[in-house]
Amino acid sequence: MTPSTMAPDTGTRKPDTAHVRDIDKSSVREASSIELQGLHKRFGKTTIALDGVDLTIEAGEFFTLLGPSGCGKTTLLRILAGLEEPDAGRLKIGGRDITDTPPHKRSVNTVFQSYALFPHLSVRDNLAFGLRMRGMPLERRNAKVAEIAEFIQLGDLVERRVDQLSGGQRQRIALARALVCEPDVLLLDEPLSALDAGLRSQLQVELLRVQKRLGMTFIFVTHDQQEAMVMSDRIAVLDSGIIQQVGPPRDVYERPVNAFVARFMGHDNLYRITARGEGGRLSTELGELHCESPGAGELLLVRPETLDLLPGEQPGKNRLLATVGERLYRGSHAEYRLDIGGTSLQATVNNRGRHLPEVGERVTVAVAAEDLVTLGQ
Amino acid sequence: MRKRNLQRGLSAFWWLTLAFLYLPLVVVVVFSFNATNSAAHFTGVSLRWYRRLLGNEEILSAFANSMILAITSSVIALVIGCLIGYGMYRHRHRKLGWLIVLIYLPIVLPDIVFGISEMTFFVQIHRLTGLLQPGLETMIIAHVTFQIPFVALIVYSRFVGLDPSLFEAAKDLYASPWQRALHFMLPTIKPALISAFFLSFTLSIDDFVISFFTAGPESATLPIYIWGAIRKGVSPEINAIATLMIGAVAIAAVLSLLFSYRRPTRSTANHRRGTEESEP
Repeated sequence: MTPSTMAPDTGTRKPDTAHVRDIDKSSVREASSIELQGLHKRFGKTTIALDGVDLTIEAGEFFTLLGPSGCGKTTLLRILAGLEEPDAGRLKIGGRDITDTPPHKRSVNTVFQSYALFPHLSVRDNLAFGLRMRGMPLERRNAKVAEIAEFIQLGDLVERRVDQLSGGQRQRIALARALVCEPDVLLLDEPLSALDAGLRSQLQVELLRVQKRLGMTFIFVTHDQQEAMVMSDRIAVLDSGIIQQVGPPRDVYERPVNAFVARFMGHDNLYRITARGEGGRLSTELGELHCESPGAGELLLVRPETLDLLPGEQPGKNRLLATVGERLYRGSHAEYRLDIGGTSLQATVNNRGRHLPEVGERVTVAVAAEDLVTLGQ
Repeated sequence: MRKRNLQRGLSAFWWLTLAFLYLPLVVVVVFSFNATNSAAHFTGVSLRWYRRLLGNEEILSAFANSMILAITSSVIALVIGCLIGYGMYRHRHRKLGWLIVLIYLPIVLPDIVFGISEMTFFVQIHRLTGLLQPGLETMIIAHVTFQIPFVALIVYSRFVGLDPSLFEAAKDLYASPWQRALHFMLPTIKPALISAFFLSFTLSIDDFVISFFTAGPESATLPIYIWGAIRKGVSPEINAIATLMIGAVAIAAVLSLLFSYRRPTRSTANHRRGTEESEP
């Protein structure tokens, strides 16, 4: 038995890293940066898919385009692949303008959401397709295919027919088929969305590992903010064809720039600021709170996991008196809906064996000034 | 009890239908081996009529015409129909329902109307230009005309059944337009092309009405020959030709079915096996 036929990710790590290092030396080219300037795209007369996108993606970055369906993320990816033409704007990869280059002449490969494996070809011929179209001689092609099959641990799948594969196997073949071409940039269009949760998180880890080892620039499209945060070096959040925010996962999650980004990242605790005082003092729907470094925005974000619940009434600075409205016990933590003078506030409390307040109980909510963020509409 | 009776009734109905369809064919086949000239009494088995058939110059030439006509027209229809089918697929988002109706029309039009219009058309062309003298040439054109819609629809439905991102994957994997046609599209629709060819072939061999109106004096096909011969009375020789044609058409129809169904059935079987293997 070859190592690759055993279960992935557990016992095979050591021998696996050994041959991975060989690949690193022999076949990895310099990763490429990407520059998008003023991209516009419209479908029909009314639907605006992209409304002026400027973006620079660094070489070797795992970059994620995140947003709800119809936000333009897939259109942006398709423009990068050359499958869609922008109405305006330029597109550069590695400093070279490729706006007018047809897809089959771009050193960019895509992992499609449906995997798009050719049904008339075996797995091996699917993997070799890109190399064959570029006219690589058979022997080198076979060597490359064998190399990538080992790298992605495909094992004996190579001999199979495409219709004999399960979803997770197809996903890996699709990834290998794109990687074997050694593109400047790899595009991934929601590649994990068709898989069930367990397989999905396993492949997330695998995908990350592949990207780090090859040092290739990956552009990843997803609508799942959890997935985006796990995978990415940087995230761009899109809505209605406009980039709302670009930054590392922590920035986007902890310091969203506007209400859309905050809500999309899963935050519900947004409160209107009614007045501002000295030293970061803010009057809000919740009451008076101090924010360490308030910005100009008119909304205050209170993240549920930054809140502490103290028993009884213990007033003070950055403390609010509340009544427990609802409690969802989740084992590792509990989620609370608190009622503060008619305004509702969500809190997440880690279960460390302390007293978990009951519904109807009076509690005091404490929050640190540095955890409060102001943001725009 | 009642349910059983219903079952029996339905089953009897099914066999009755089959009998209506196939008994006449069986009679023709049986009488083609008849030892005497009688169409009423079967007097013994002989290959006499088949031997007579092989000696009949007229029949052999009619057979050759039928084959040339069927093969040539099917090949031409395959090329044109394939291009039309692909075109229909490529531009399927452009509200081309009317085009599909347009291409269906010849299929639903009565053969006799179609045949007469073809004839009138060819006569006019001949009168004006001297080209297209009635004969094999005009018959081929006429046959291609009614075969095209079938080919186009078979090819179109095969393309529609494909994952559209396959076309993009081919582009993405460095295939130029010609390479896409050669290495992706043609191999992918091959089963559809083969089944379309056999269907066209069967339609052409089958056709009498349209051939009759577009044929010339030298280009009688088997059905036309039979039509002429039958006016002098049904001879066992005709039964022999009919038997051979039943055989030929049956083979072509079976091949056509085989090729159109082979891929899906095999892949579902394999898929079932594949999932068992891959998920132990």
